[in-house]
Parts: sequence; C-alpha cells; structure tokens
Amino acid sequence: MMMKTELDKNVLIFLLSAIGLIVFPHVYHIPTAVFGFFCLLLAWRFAGVWKPNLLPGTAVIFLLAACGIALLYSLHQGIFGRDAGTNLFITALGLKLLEIRKERDLYLISYLAFIVAASQFLYEQSILMAAYILLVCCLLLATLVTINSCKAQTLASLKTALIITVQAIPIAVALFILFPRLEAPRWMLFNEPRQTRSGLSDTMEPGSISNLVKSYELVFRVKFAGAIPPPEQRYWRGPVLSYTDGKRWTPAAFLKPLKSPAVTGAPYQYTMLMEPQDKNWIFALDMPKGFSPPLSLNAGYQLITSDSPGKRAEYQVTSYTDYNTGPINPGEYRTATQLPGEPSDRIKQLVSRLHGFDSPPDDFIKQLLNHFRAEDFHYTLTPPVIEENPIESFLFKTRYGFCSHYASAFVYLMRVAHIPARVVTGYQGGELNPVGDFLEIRQADAHAWAEVWLENRGWVRVDPTAAIAPERIEPEINVTRQTAYGIATADKYLPLPAYNWLKHTRQLWTSVDYNWQRWVINYDNKSQSGFLSSFGINDLKAMIYWMIAVIGSITAVLCWFLLYQKPKTADKVLLIYSRFCNKLAKHGLVKNPGEGAKDFAERAKIKLPERAEAIDRITAVFIRLRYGRTATGEDLQQLKTLVGLFRA
Amino acid sequence: MNLKERFRLSRFISGEKAVDEPVTLNHRRIFILPTQRGLGFAVLIALLLLIAFVYNNNLAYMLAFLLASVFFVTILHSYKSLSGLVVQKGRSKAVFAGKAAGFEIHINNPGDMERRQIHIKLQDSQSLTMQPQSTAHITLYSITRQRGWHEAGTVTVSSTFPLGLFRTWSPIRFNLKALVYPKPAHLEIPFPVTPSAQGQQGFSRKSGDDFYGLQQYQPGDPIKHIHWKAFAKGLGTFSKQYGGEDSAQIRLDYELAPGHDVEQRLSQLCRWVVDAEQTGISYGFSLPGLKLPPDNGPAHYRKCLEALALF
Repeated sequence: MMMKTELDKNVLIFLLSAIGLIVFPHVYHIPTAVFGFFCLLLAWRFAGVWKPNLLPGTAVIFLLAACGIALLYSLHQGIFGRDAGTNLFITALGLKLLEIRKERDLYLISYLAFIVAASQFLYEQSILMAAYILLVCCLLLATLVTINSCKAQTLASLKTALIITVQAIPIAVALFILFPRLEAPRWMLFNEPRQTRSGLSDTMEPGSISNLVKSYELVFRVKFAGAIPPPEQRYWRGPVLSYTDGKRWTPAAFLKPLKSPAVTGAPYQYTMLMEPQDKNWIFALDMPKGFSPPLSLNAGYQLITSDSPGKRAEYQVTSYTDYNTGPINPGEYRTATQLPGEPSDRIKQLVSRLHGFDSPPDDFIKQLLNHFRAEDFHYTLTPPVIEENPIESFLFKTRYGFCSHYASAFVYLMRVAHIPARVVTGYQGGELNPVGDFLEIRQADAHAWAEVWLENRGWVRVDPTAAIAPERIEPEINVTRQTAYGIATADKYLPLPAYNWLKHTRQLWTSVDYNWQRWVINYDNKSQSGFLSSFGINDLKAMIYWMIAVIGSITAVLCWFLLYQKPKTADKVLLIYSRFCNKLAKHGLVKNPGEGAKDFAERAKIKLPERAEAIDRITAVFIRLRYGRTATGEDLQQLKTLVGLFRA
Repeated sequence: MNLKERFRLSRFISGEKAVDEPVTLNHRRIFILPTQRGLGFAVLIALLLLIAFVYNNNLAYMLAFLLASVFFVTILHSYKSLSGLVVQKGRSKAVFAGKAAGFEIHINNPGDMERRQIHIKLQDSQSLTMQPQSTAHITLYSITRQRGWHEAGTVTVSSTFPLGLFRTWSPIRFNLKALVYPKPAHLEIPFPVTPSAQGQQGFSRKSGDDFYGLQQYQPGDPIKHIHWKAFAKGLGTFSKQYGGEDSAQIRLDYELAPGHDVEQRLSQLCRWVVDAEQTGISYGFSLPGLKLPPDNGPAHYRKCLEALALF
C-alpha cells in the first residue's frame, strides 16, 4: 500500500474544492450559523494547504469539535431527522477537514461528502440539482483517482472519473427501475417538524393560487367505475367563498342546512384516492350526490371527511354533472350579494355598459364573458402585484391575471348587478394516466371559478377564465399548458421568431421537467409496479430475475467494451513470427509449445542448412523485439521484410 | 492446470509454480478483492440506500445506485490496470549473507494504455507509472540471512487504481535465485600459518612484505601491485613481485579456521578469502572435498566464495 508521508497539494485542493461545491447549495437549507462554521473550517483548511503551520493542533481541534457540538445542541434538533442529520454531517465534515493526516482520512472525508451530497436531494430534487450533484460527485471520484495515481495528473484523473461515471450510468438506471421500492415502516420515520403541505387554503386573494400551479405534487387520484367525464366537466369542488372585503375572499357561515340538489343524467361512480392533506376536504366531482360516512356534504356542497386527512385515504363517491340546486334562502341570498362597500362609478359604468342592470342575468353573464374575451385581458401565472383596490385595478389597469383574478372580478361584477354569485375553489381537469387508467389531479390543477344563482336553475357554474384562456378548459393533455401560456403572454412583445423559439424551448423544458418529476421523482411503489407490469414483470421474484439479467447483459457489453483490445505491437511481432513458423511448417518443422525460438532455429538449420543465415537473422531480430530492452519500430519493419523474403 | 490446482489457495498469495519465461498477466494470474476502503464504500452505499428508503427519496436512491454501479464498474477497471503487462525475470547478483540480494525484473506494458499506478513488491515495494508501450527495469531487493541459494520468492505486482476500492494483484514466481556467500567474520584473525605446499620447510613468512623483483605485467595481476612509478616514467607496465613462489602463498584451509561450528568456520574462511583477495596475494583454498590451487583474481575469488556458499 502506498503511503505518502506528505499529502499531495493538488489532491488536497481538488478535494477541498469538490467539498466546497457539494456543501454550497445547502446555504439555503441549513442554519446560517452551521453554514458559517463550516465555511470557516473549510477556509482554514484551504489556508493550511499553503501554510501548514496554520493548521490547528489536537487541542484546538478538540475545542472546535466542542464548539460544533454546542452549536448543534443550541439548534435543539437532536441528531435524527433530515435537518438535524444534515447539520450533523456538515459539521462533522468540516471538523474532519482539519484533521487530514493519512490517506485514510481523505477517504473518510470523501464518503462524508457523498452523504452530504445525498442530503441535498432531501431538500431539492430538480433536474438541475441532480446534474450539479452528479458533476460534483465526478469531482470527488476524480480526487480518489488522483490519490491512487503515482503522479497527480488533474486532467487525466477527471477524465478517468468521468469515464467510470458514464459507464456506471446504465447499471444505475437499471437498478433504479428494477430495485423494489418499499414504503419505510412507520418506526423508521423520524418525527419531522411538520411540513406545511401546499394546497388550497380556505381564503383566496387575487393571485393566491398561482403559487400552487408550479407544483406537480399529487393531490388525489380518481378511478372511474365507468365512463370518465369529458374534460370540460372535470371540476373538482373545494371550498366555497362567499364573503369578501374587496380583496380577500372567505367562506361565509351558512345559516341553514341545504336541501339536496336534484340531479338528472348519467351518474359517475368513482373512487377517490386522496394524498395526505392538511384540510379535511374531499374534492369531489361537481356535484357529489352519493357518498357514505365519514363523508358529509357542507352548505357549500363541498364534501368533507371526519377522518384525519393526514394519511392516504380512499373514498367511494357518485356524482352527477347535471344538477339543479333549487331556490336559495334569504340568508344565502344576502351573503351571495354582499359587497364590501359601494362600488365605484367606473365599475357601475362598466356594468351598465354591459347591460348588467337592464337585462336578464344570462345575458349579462354572456356580455361580461365577451368583454373579457374581446378586451385586452391576459392570462398569466405571474400577474403584477396589486395592493390597492385589486378588482378595479385588474379590470381597468393591469388586465393581467390568473384564474383567481378573473373569478373574483366576475363575482364582484355579478354582485354589483344584484345577481347572487360566489367564488368556488378546487381543481380543474386532471391528467389521465393511461397505465393505471385513472385521473391524476395535481396542485398544478388548482383553480378558482364562479357560481351564479339563476332562477329555476339554482347555482350554475361559470368559469370566466375559460373566456380568456380556452386552453385551460379544452381537452389538452399537454401539461405545459399553464406555464407555457402564462409566460408566453408575458413575453408577447418579443419579435415573433425569437418568441416562438423561446416558447418552444420553454415548452420543451417544462415537459422535460414534468417528465422528470413524474418518472424520476415520483417513481414509487405504485408507478413502479404499473410500469413494470407493462413489461410483464409482476412480482418480486420476476423483478429480481430481471435485475440480474439486465445487469448481467450490461456487464457483458461493458466487459467487451473495456477489455477487448486490438492486437498490439507485441502481438504483431508474434503474428509475423508465426508467419515464419508457418513457412517452416511446410517442411515439417513445427515449433513445440515451450520450445524457445533459438532451439527451434537450431532445429530448423539442421533441416534447412541452405537457409541457415536467414533463419538466424529472423530469430535474432525476433528475440530482440520480444525480449530485448531496446527494440525499435525499425526492428519490427525489418522482421516483416525478412519474413516476407524468406522462402522455405 | 487442472481444477484442483486452479482452486488452490496458494495461487492467490504465492502464485503458481515458478517459471523461467516471461509472464503475461491475464485473468488466470490476476486477483481482485476489495480493500478496506472498498468495504467502507460498500457501507457508504448501504447508508445512502437507508437514507433513500427512509425518506423515500428517488434521487438519493439514484445516487446510491450510481455509486454501487461505480463500485461494480471499478472491478473491470482494476483488472484493466494490470492485465496485459508482461513481467520478465532479469539477473541476480551474489551477495554476502545479511545483505540485500538484488533481483532484476523487467515489466513491459505492451498496450496503448498508460498504467498510472503499479506497485511491485518483493520485500520492499516500488511504485511506478508506465507509459504505453514501454518497459521498466526494476531491481527488487530481498534481505538474505543464510548462505546458499536465496530464492527470490513471490514477486507481487499490484495496483489500487483507479479508485482505491479494489486491490488487484498478481503473484508471480520466477526461477530466480541469488547465491549468498557466508557472512565474513568480524574478527581480524591473521591468516593461518601453513607449511608451504612445496617447501615444507616448517616455516612461513607473512606474504606481502618480501619484495623481490619486478615482472612484466600480466592480465590478472592485482592493480595494487603495478609499479606505478615505472609506468609513469613510461618504462612499461610492471608488477611488483612479493614473497616468492613459496613464501607469498597462503593456504586457507577449513581445518585451520577457528570456530565452534561449521558456520563460524566458514564465516572465518570467508573473511580470509575477502582479505586475501584485497591484499592481492595468492591463496590456496581447501574445503573438505575441495582443493583449489593458490591463485588470485576475481575468477578464483568467486570460485572460493561459491564453494563456501554451497558447502
């Protein structure tokens, strides 16, 4: 085993840089104190590369370790769990940096760094982060290569590490796909400080939903027993918001229990698989009719459960898309026409221009939707922030908004025209998963729409966003719809080719990112069995067999690729010599295995005395080439010529 | 090689039976096992898998699988770091017991790949880097203890390239041995006084003192005996002659060497031979069963020492 008394400076710089790069993204995740402490230790160690005298002695390291422990203790996180573990490993890594004495320490540090790299994924799982960590891991491997080379050659080591990593990827991917995913048993789950889950809230402000649509997190899945409702009917009903202060919408306290709505048409029977939630809301298809405890319907026709929403749960629901809620009671009417104050003149003018005061509600609704469509209204994910008077500013000034803007503006204008209206939030759409034949509804599908009460028809759903961005309602499987559309409207003023190119790139990127989310990040027990069963792999045994088979074949390819070598110079010498032997073989002279070239030559000379000189020369050149210390290319050429000329 | 030989454990450590011809390292000769660091790496992978499992984190899984795969692929690279090397034995030199015997080993890298780390070990270890299509000449030393033939033993070519997770090694045994002379005794005991072989006059004078004339230089005469003054004057090359035919001769006889046992006596004899050769006097040499007439010079010297080594 090689023992370097003095560790190579290049190796150290290499390793320290790699570690700096690995810990760097944690700046967003760990307490500043821990990050600062680590940076201090790293900088100290870097200084020590050039000035070894600066490095601390055992006593100081002990003191620093005590500081580190005190720091961790002061954070009150214990040692288990994501945050505590990350802090612990980073602190340990920093302390270990100051105590590099032997090669062994370098390895320990590298291994710690790999763990810190993995902890990065507990915070962020984007494709960019994955690429970054992959590169930095390459750097770490290159450090190990440098340690194991007699001469430290940075570039060559990097190349070797890169080659090894690239060659390792196929097997890693095969393992990733085929390695059985199991859910960790409960006792292994650490009591994390409860993460607030993203999701719909029970209040809404203009712009409040747009932060959700960037999240691909699954909210629930729906599996229909029969037909799946058409996309424009897929409204998953959430909280109903009736009360507004002009900016914020909140649910109103309903006075009376409602009557069950009258339904017609074909029922949709389905199973809902809710992901863990904060709220006990079940986002049923509008309008839920058949359900059983623990589900119940509240006054806003919203399904709620009395079970804990914190774990996955399954519910059977029947809904009808054709329904009539009937008349409303006075209390409901009051809340549904409530306004925060007297509307401004501008708003009144707008309503009267659209015949809000002098035509049936149906016509006014059409007029208003037309207004949204005809005027310069934009649909964007990143609307400008409106502090004062959001509805009015949106209607007359900014005109860039998201579904919550349109829903609140629409409801507000309805109420100005004395038509009972309210905001409904929930989810819209959902993507059909062809493998599992179910709909997946993600946070990105969060939506807000309006409900208007009409005589004889009860509460009727109106989605003003549909007037602006029909793409959002139309059957469009392309998941990039929202982001792509939103950004596209913002970039409207770019020249057309550049705009198209940008749009395409973005669409491509978002779809890559979505697939990354879907196939890599969310590849779990269920999607694995779904994916594998399409290949006929149904149980654990088959999985293991396949794993062995796939890895075996990849290894075979790798072996061929790595170990097969073209005939080299030395073999060329043998090749030429064997040509010579073949010529002699015509005279019955066959070289015995184990017989030296010289002995063979002696034997040949006895049989072919007239060729003795040629035989001697060939043998001499061959021996020089094969065993000599100073064989040159010329010798090879000479051997070739001599053998070529040799006539047995 | 039959099956039984193939699975003999000694192949892993001391190599196959000794050979003369060059050895090309191939799958039969190369062994690979994880190092301690490699086992540490396996523990690391297990830990990453545990983290991935507990947090159900696919990218952590991916990292663990990638490292596991790297671990696996490294085996092939480890093999590649030695495979194809041609190791050939060189010469060896005789030494006195207690000194290190040097064995020449030639390693040839016929491939197009640079070998970035090769350790070659006999008793001590040397590390080297080999360029493509190059040959390295190395002398490995092995401390000798006893007179006689000293076998070189197993030459181990090894490498931990590329990641240090695996050690790949190839034990090779050559028919390579060095002759070991007895260790010359420390004591400066005067040469034994022996009756001249011819004169039998009952006395002997110490050689070296009695200058009696010059003689034309003849190859083989000790350099110390050259008459440099005459040489400098351009008179020719002469050797000074001492003692005379009978008186300047000594006989180094086993029987006369003091010592408690055979080894001590041989050791003393060895001392005398070395001293006599250095002084440049002719010395006869006799061991039981061997008698060498008085002579001087490297050939005679070697013959005596060889006889001592192999007695």
